[in-house]
Amino acid sequence: MVEAELWLFVLISSLSYMTPILLATIGEIITERSGIVNVGIEGILLSSAFASVATSFFSGSMLLGVLAGTLAGALLGALFGLFAVYLRADQIIAGLAINMASYGFTVLGLIAIWGHHGASPRVEGQLPYFSIGQSTVPLLTLLAILIAVLSWFFLFRTRTGLALRACGEEPRAADAMGVNTYRYRIAATTLGGTLAGLGGAFLALEIAGVFTRGMSAGMGFIALANVAFSGWNPLPAVFGAYVFGFLSAAADALQQEVGYAYLLKTLPYLGTLAITVLTARRSRAPLRLGVPYARE
Amino acid sequence: MVPLVSMKGITKVYADGTVALRGVTFELAEGEVHALLGENGAGKTTLMRILYGELRPTAGEIFVRGQSVAFRSPQEAMRRGIAMVHQNFSLVPSFTVADNLYLAVTSVKPMRRGEVEGRARELGARLGIEVPLEARVEQLSAGMKQRAEILKSLLLDAKIIILDEPTSLLTPLEARALLGLIKELKAQQVSFVYVTHKLREVKEVADRVTVLRKGANVGTFQVSEVSEAEMAKLMVGAEVERVRRSRSGAPGEVLLEVEDLAARDDMGVERLKGVTLSVRRGEVVGIAGVQGSGQKELAEILAGLRRPERGKVRLGGVDVTGRSPREMRRAGVLYSPESREEGLALEMSLVENSVLARQGEHASGVTMNWKSAEERARQIVERFRVVFTDLWERARNLSGGNQQRLMVGRELESEGLLLIAHEPTQGLDVVSAEKVRGEILRFRERGAVLLISSDLDEVLELSDRIVVLFEGRVVGELKGGESDLERLAKLMGGAL
Repeated sequence: MVEAELWLFVLISSLSYMTPILLATIGEIITERSGIVNVGIEGILLSSAFASVATSFFSGSMLLGVLAGTLAGALLGALFGLFAVYLRADQIIAGLAINMASYGFTVLGLIAIWGHHGASPRVEGQLPYFSIGQSTVPLLTLLAILIAVLSWFFLFRTRTGLALRACGEEPRAADAMGVNTYRYRIAATTLGGTLAGLGGAFLALEIAGVFTRGMSAGMGFIALANVAFSGWNPLPAVFGAYVFGFLSAAADALQQEVGYAYLLKTLPYLGTLAITVLTARRSRAPLRLGVPYARE
Repeated sequence: MVPLVSMKGITKVYADGTVALRGVTFELAEGEVHALLGENGAGKTTLMRILYGELRPTAGEIFVRGQSVAFRSPQEAMRRGIAMVHQNFSLVPSFTVADNLYLAVTSVKPMRRGEVEGRARELGARLGIEVPLEARVEQLSAGMKQRAEILKSLLLDAKIIILDEPTSLLTPLEARALLGLIKELKAQQVSFVYVTHKLREVKEVADRVTVLRKGANVGTFQVSEVSEAEMAKLMVGAEVERVRRSRSGAPGEVLLEVEDLAARDDMGVERLKGVTLSVRRGEVVGIAGVQGSGQKELAEILAGLRRPERGKVRLGGVDVTGRSPREMRRAGVLYSPESREEGLALEMSLVENSVLARQGEHASGVTMNWKSAEERARQIVERFRVVFTDLWERARNLSGGNQQRLMVGRELESEGLLLIAHEPTQGLDVVSAEKVRGEILRFRERGAVLLISSDLDEVLELSDRIVVLFEGRVVGELKGGESDLERLAKLMGGAL
């Protein structure tokens, strides 16, 4: 009986762990469908986690914290877009720069605000949730799944989504059809950053309740793997994110049961590796992914 | 009568100082097909991209139906009823035809998706432009893509359609169908600008012709009042010396033997289904076939770039099946591929490209001897008249024609027995194409040539024998000199 309850608990708490990965994945899918690859979502998760914790610490409002995290994500997404789209910077380098700068600035922020190297004080408060039996599911998790469905509809059922995908497939043709590739691409990186920012806020305020240095811990990269796993489609991404969420939740739960903490913590990463290898040849990336576009 | 389009004194100077057009005047009358004839780089496409709003003129005026216009984007030109079908098409390959039409139409005027598709069907049926709306563009033949583009133009209510080198990617049969469609649409009051360098097509389809040479208009004529020879002379600025081949004597021993060769392409589609052929020393053997008949796979197998599923390749009697590109080169195979992106490292310099695959000959120990590499590069660019500013500039900075000359030149300057020349003159103007053809014929003295080309005149003119491929099989063999285009075209279409 204890066993069964434990597994039910893991299955439900997987939903929580899934949420930041899912939001970051959807954001990255939208970004990559426009032809831009942003490996900086790891850094965006981290920066927005910091922004949300700092804001709710000073304001005492969790909701303001979520807003601040989302806004931070949007700003970083737009900044990345500026470099990648208009200045035609190397997208990988620009993404890595965001990752490294985010790590550096958040640690600096920890010291400047709280005088600590490792973690912020715990933030008080609770984001909205609803209950299933004795477990709870955050409202934002439902919102994330809803966003996945809406993004699918947007990408594959609307004219704007069609135009956005055209930018990722053949920007020259899109341009010839009157689609302003530059604008679509920067809008996509901004929207992608916004969703990752929401994910970062969730990670800090809901899952952890504190900010710890480097707390995104590869979730951004797991999201990148999930993008390929889901074939650049937000619906399968929900499933993919749940699998990763489950591995994280299982690692956490088992660790309390049996020990082997460090070994178990590698579960999500080993899972990522396995899935990446298994699905490597299955789906096709947008044709012009990562290639800057310059009008003549 | 006010002409439909009137371009006056159009001058275009690019940012790097290149003068593309020098005060060109061009007129299009209502309901006519007006050919714009000229060599590569004469400025034809530039002139039309200006009319289409893709480029802005440095000086000059444009009038549409007597009204002065200054388009800032193709959308503005489309709203005035002007459409342009580019040589390489502007469709998104992974989207369906319907997606593409919808995206293009709605960027000019709002329309529901169902309405776009309905109108496309109705228009397609009325004019006989059959395009499968639900098929993805990348699955369509070049001819189909072109029809999709023309349908797109018509959906946008285009009254003026600019066709840029429209037959360059088409099979002979598709090209004929296109000319028929143009006549049909002309009857519906659509006017055409037909950009080309092919004299025969001008004669066949156009009412008037304007000849451009080096960015200047050298004359506008009624097509019925000017001969092909006169047009050629105006276009080139001198009489073109055609290579008239002397048939070689009896060919020597068998150099290349291909036996029952079968292979798949990168997508796993079976492209070669048991091809057998041989090439003797001193011969040029032409391979003709519509695109995708297996010629690319054949060339790649001979170059060592693709493994056959079955069959044998023998070179000088030695079995070389499945050998690596390096071993094939050692065995004497020279390969000039269809795509310049494959044959050249575009981000590397002319010097580096000149010694690519032959680095060993220009190295002392482990270090490159760049002096001797430069020497080789110099030989190639001089012999093949590659126009460049610096031997160390990136090959990407060269124009397409110059890249082609560099690539073909590198192979012809190398030691070897068998030259595989895939589209050796693509993108070349008449004069340099003739130069390359002459060199290919001269190569027979050193060995033999397998010539794969979609330019049927070229195949007929250079080949001693022509092997016709259709859907991966040899469907016929013709003698070079005595065959006619008609018979070749029929075989290529699979008619036996």
